[in-house]
Amino acid sequence: MGRKILLVEDDRETAAYLMRGLGEEGHSVEHVTDGREGLFRASDGSYDLIILDRMLPLLDGLAVLRALRAAEIATPVLILSALASVGDRIEGLECGSDDYLVKPFSFAELTARANALFRRNESRPTADPKITVADLEIDPLSRTVRRSGKKIDLKPREYLLLEYFARNEGKIVTRTMLLEKVWDYHFDPGTNVIDVHVSRLRRKLEEGFERPLLHTVRGAGYRLEG
Amino acid sequence: MPTSLRIALLAAILALASNVAVIGFIHWQTYDESVATLRRQVTDQTYFLADIYQEGGLDALQSAMDDVDADDPQAKAGVLDRRGRPQFGDFAVVQTDLSEGYRSAIVRLQDEGVSREAAVYLHRMRTGQWLISARIAGEGLALRQTLQRSLWIGLALALLLGLACGIIVARYVGRSVRAVATVADRIGSGDFRQRVPVHGTRDPFDALARQINAMLDRINTLMDELSILTDALAHDLRSPVGRIRAAADAALTAPTAERREQLLAGIIQQADSLMRILTTILEIGRSEALTSRKQFAWFDAGELVDELAEMYEPVADDAGAHLVLRRARANLKVNGHRQLLAQALSNLIENAIKYGASGGEIGLGAARKGDRLALTVTDRGPGIPEHNRDEARRRFRRLDTSRSLEGAGLGLALAEAIAHLHGGELLLGDCAPGLSATIEIPADPQPQGKAALAPGRGEEQVHSK
Repeated sequence: MGRKILLVEDDRETAAYLMRGLGEEGHSVEHVTDGREGLFRASDGSYDLIILDRMLPLLDGLAVLRALRAAEIATPVLILSALASVGDRIEGLECGSDDYLVKPFSFAELTARANALFRRNESRPTADPKITVADLEIDPLSRTVRRSGKKIDLKPREYLLLEYFARNEGKIVTRTMLLEKVWDYHFDPGTNVIDVHVSRLRRKLEEGFERPLLHTVRGAGYRLEG
Repeated sequence: MPTSLRIALLAAILALASNVAVIGFIHWQTYDESVATLRRQVTDQTYFLADIYQEGGLDALQSAMDDVDADDPQAKAGVLDRRGRPQFGDFAVVQTDLSEGYRSAIVRLQDEGVSREAAVYLHRMRTGQWLISARIAGEGLALRQTLQRSLWIGLALALLLGLACGIIVARYVGRSVRAVATVADRIGSGDFRQRVPVHGTRDPFDALARQINAMLDRINTLMDELSILTDALAHDLRSPVGRIRAAADAALTAPTAERREQLLAGIIQQADSLMRILTTILEIGRSEALTSRKQFAWFDAGELVDELAEMYEPVADDAGAHLVLRRARANLKVNGHRQLLAQALSNLIENAIKYGASGGEIGLGAARKGDRLALTVTDRGPGIPEHNRDEARRRFRRLDTSRSLEGAGLGLALAEAIAHLHGGELLLGDCAPGLSATIEIPADPQPQGKAALAPGRGEEQVHSK
């Protein structure tokens, strides 16, 4: 389903690249090149997502973000920035952004994050809190997981990992996203630590079953899909 | 205009101005008072004589004038005709314009051959004649002249003394400043070993010299580090860039789509690892700049260590080692940057796994030492010989010359920068066998906000070679 996205980015090349990519995904993208125009457009709250560069002419990204949040506009904001240090990321998140992506980034990473933000922003009916993916059933209240009725024992972190995958069912989830959302670490450990955890989870989910659930997407991340 | 001359002139002008102010005050006080007294006396006398003349005519005036003469030899009086020529009285000549009132005039007395200055009062009588009353300003004038002369001498002296003071001050200041300027000049032209001489006089100039020297030492150390860093950086970045280029070349001419995809994936991976190196370098720079301190908050370091143990346990397992958590039950609350400390520890753990997994055990510990906190990572691997440990901390210097494993030095350097940010230090020790790396930081690095901002012991230890 196409979404309405506001792109506030002064770098032409990045903007063109993003507009092409997001357009191919079926989204409609409006592009402005400075912070003041960005704030003006964003103020009516009609967008599904705002992709905001941090260093912008006229008004910098964080100022735009603060102004939006002060005006109680809750549109999800994804900050895009070359400022890559842990302190910068934390600062961005503390200003009220929903996600922070460091340049240079892969397009897969951006779309994965954007999808997660769309999804989160949809208010799901909460009558049945259980999440099901194919024959997998997750109960967030008791934190129990069953596959085809058979209980699977998971460690607390493995459960959180699975729940995050399940909430983004069918969508690509990147390693950095997992590190940030499941572990709440905003640095890049540089090793295969995430892969090790994912493969342990996969072993527990798929042992004794024919059908794979947790897929590796090369060059991007993982996807939970029945 | 040279600075020393300017300082000399400034001092001289200041001395002069203050002296002029004092002298002016004295002058104003004494001069004004003497002039006012003179004027009052002369005016009073005139009206007294005028009254007498009115009542008793010329005869009475004559005798009154004699009385006045006898009373006060300074006081003179007389009558002038309509044109101002003396008719009778004490005066032979009076040079003044004819008008009612007080003024100063040149007069010659009957019994004297010389003209003198006098304070006079002229009063026109009904007959058209002028009643003149005067005081020879002899001593008053002399006093005034002496006063004026001494004032001028005083001014000249003040000017001279001011100039002298100015020159002395300028020479003193100039010498001290010139010493600094000379050093700055030489440093500017590239001789970074120059230092400002310190005389041990404990005056502000000495303090300045010491501060400048300390600053230069620090700059020197940083520059040394920077040049090591840039050399190493250039060297270490060359190889991944080279590999990327080679892979891109190969991808261009790849025979199959599958092979091309494989090569491109490799390029992305290499680029990511390059980015990681650059981000870490940035992070080190940021940590040293202390700006991240505004993100400090209280958190439980024990929980952090638990989390990291849980996170790395499977990684250690895969590498064939067992991760052992040794965590004190004590209060492990710390005021710090949770993310950065997590990153520092994860760097140490990854190094331990990378280099020490062969020893079979990786230790992760958290303990309290008084008001300090020790977060320790140990391994049972080959360790680092003592003389190489400082070297190990230097960015980008990896100890294995084969360079088969990437980025250990960078990890240690970042851990150290983060320890410094928290006012603590990174200690490398011997586990016999194996390496122990401890981040030791105060539980509250900024109790009142500034005490810990002074460079800690650790920093000195690292920057002295």
